[in-house]
Amino acid sequence: MVETIKEIWEYRTMIASLVRKDLRGRYQASVLGFLWTFIVPLCQLIIYTLVFSVIIRSNVEKFYLYLFVALIPWNFFSSCLTGGSSCILQQQSLVNKIYFPREVIPIAYVTSSFVNMLYCEIVVILVSLFSGVVFSPLGLLCLPLVMSVEYVLALGITLIFSALDVYFRDLEHILGIVSMAWMFLTPIMYDMSIIPENLKPVFMLNPMTGIVMAYRDILYSGSIPHLGTLGIAAGTGLFFCVIGFLVFGKLKRRFSEVM
Amino acid sequence: MDQKRENNSIVIDVKNIKKKFRVYSDRGGTLKDRILFRTRRKYEDHWVLKGISFQVRKGEAIGLIGENGCGKSTTLKMLTRILYPDAGKITMKGRVSSLIELGAGFHPDLTGRENVYTNAAIFGLKQHEIDSRLDKIIAFSELEEYIDHPVRTYSSGMYMRLAFAVAINVDADILLIDEILAVGDASFQAKCFQKLQEIKSRGTTIVIVSHSLNQIEQICDRSIWIDEGLIRMEGTPRDIHPYYTEFMTRKTQKRDEKEAKEAKKAEEAKLATQPDPDNPNRTGSGEARMTSVRVLNATGEEASSFSPDEEITIQIDYTAHKDLSNAVVGIAIYRSDQTYIYGTNSLIDTAESVRLKEQGTIVLHIDRLPVANGSYTVDLALHRPDGLNYDFWKEVFTLHIADRIQTPGIIHLPHRWDIR
Repeated sequence: MVETIKEIWEYRTMIASLVRKDLRGRYQASVLGFLWTFIVPLCQLIIYTLVFSVIIRSNVEKFYLYLFVALIPWNFFSSCLTGGSSCILQQQSLVNKIYFPREVIPIAYVTSSFVNMLYCEIVVILVSLFSGVVFSPLGLLCLPLVMSVEYVLALGITLIFSALDVYFRDLEHILGIVSMAWMFLTPIMYDMSIIPENLKPVFMLNPMTGIVMAYRDILYSGSIPHLGTLGIAAGTGLFFCVIGFLVFGKLKRRFSEVM
Repeated sequence: MDQKRENNSIVIDVKNIKKKFRVYSDRGGTLKDRILFRTRRKYEDHWVLKGISFQVRKGEAIGLIGENGCGKSTTLKMLTRILYPDAGKITMKGRVSSLIELGAGFHPDLTGRENVYTNAAIFGLKQHEIDSRLDKIIAFSELEEYIDHPVRTYSSGMYMRLAFAVAINVDADILLIDEILAVGDASFQAKCFQKLQEIKSRGTTIVIVSHSLNQIEQICDRSIWIDEGLIRMEGTPRDIHPYYTEFMTRKTQKRDEKEAKEAKKAEEAKLATQPDPDNPNRTGSGEARMTSVRVLNATGEEASSFSPDEEITIQIDYTAHKDLSNAVVGIAIYRSDQTYIYGTNSLIDTAESVRLKEQGTIVLHIDRLPVANGSYTVDLALHRPDGLNYDFWKEVFTLHIADRIQTPGIIHLPHRWDIR
């Protein structure tokens, strides 16, 4: 595995070039182009604000922000889970033609989704400030750490499922459903306080719970994230990442035989 | 020679590699198929490579030759690490670049320059390495004017030139090439060739798969001939290629002969059913031909009317282009209303074929034709045992059968009464 990581590092220019190509390609040929990166989350925010202040009343204060702060990181994770699973298949012409460490493709996919989330986070921070949230400086310093934890987790998940998907193509559809269920098992639209005490440990097994709560601590409550829950999330993320590299390393050898 | 000794370290070491492909008769890739038809998923193992070993030293150029499907491209793909062997081991030292599929990852909307960056990155080059090679690559591609245009505006020749320019300027330690020296026009090809020679003289190891023995002879120090997944021969191109050429020629010859045979058969079949322009009643290839036919009665006179118990003799004069040792003579008799009365041929009767000389006469004795009064037409044929006609002659003559008394029915039964 050390060998593999060393080799991937050698191909860092390829990763960068794939990320750049993906980000550029995403909004190419559209009139507003890159601006869409900001327009989409802003419009989402407006819709949530309308829905949760007019139609569904919630007793959580500034519910739109409460939701928005959690939803942006979730969108990143969910795009890796569903879209990332088909990333190898999408690049099959490349995989069948030329050698490079295959891990480059999922890494580039996750990175490009991650960069996209970073842009969205700018919007989130501005909206939070606008809504009168006072950030804790130490909390803000923790934000990159939280993001890294989520990145590592998303990478692990993407590595596993993108490799499996090559052999087993129903996975894309299954993961669409899994992603929806996972979203409702993560405290995005509700607060952990509504979960019965005896079920809480089960919810904490979900690494996204700790991550979403940390984002919310920093950007909604303006506090320092709970390091215990974040620690658990980091541990699980790392675990998935290692498993991801192992599974991917095992399965990648026959990619071009089955595609 | 001395220079070669100095750095004759082995950079490619292929040890007894084997590769099989599973050929699925019915590939079920979905969940339903996998669960429901788990035991039914049938496949056959097809061994493309059955154990190949060779070593390549630094700065050496080798050519892999063999007919289509022999496993040479699979070997190259394993050297590239797109495929992995099922058994055996490949060790390679240094940076590998492959000219197998040119232009991998080219994006039509990006400019030539941008594509150089992405494409070179795929080969594992780092940013600064690409920066330092960019001018060389553009110069080699001869696309200075168009380098900032999107690649989709390029002609296919320009596209390949750019792709080749990137791949060859990677400065790899090992260069793998599959059948791609057919890039662009003749002058660009010559340039590519020159570049390959130059790269080789700088100590790059080259492995080429090609059908062009000429190209291999020009560049390679050694040829490896792969046949049906095994190395058949190995040595300098000059030593190996004559054997290979002979093998291939013989193989093509065999195929050609088979094809020629089939073509001849079809031609004969066509001829055998071709009508004679002078006589629409006659068809056949004409290799043998009936020249005249006489019908004689018991006294040896030509006749056309017979009684049902009279002997009939048919004499057929024929000519043949050459001695036909394997022929059949046949006859068929029809009543005037086209009812088939009787037919036979020499093969049915004697179980042996007839030998036709260049010229001769066939005589058929019919003891009697015991049929009811009426007209009967006779078809005659000279043909091959497999039914192809030399000469098929429909309704050669008509026999009139007339008895003293008219009897009903279709045959004339020889009989006598004995009344006590």
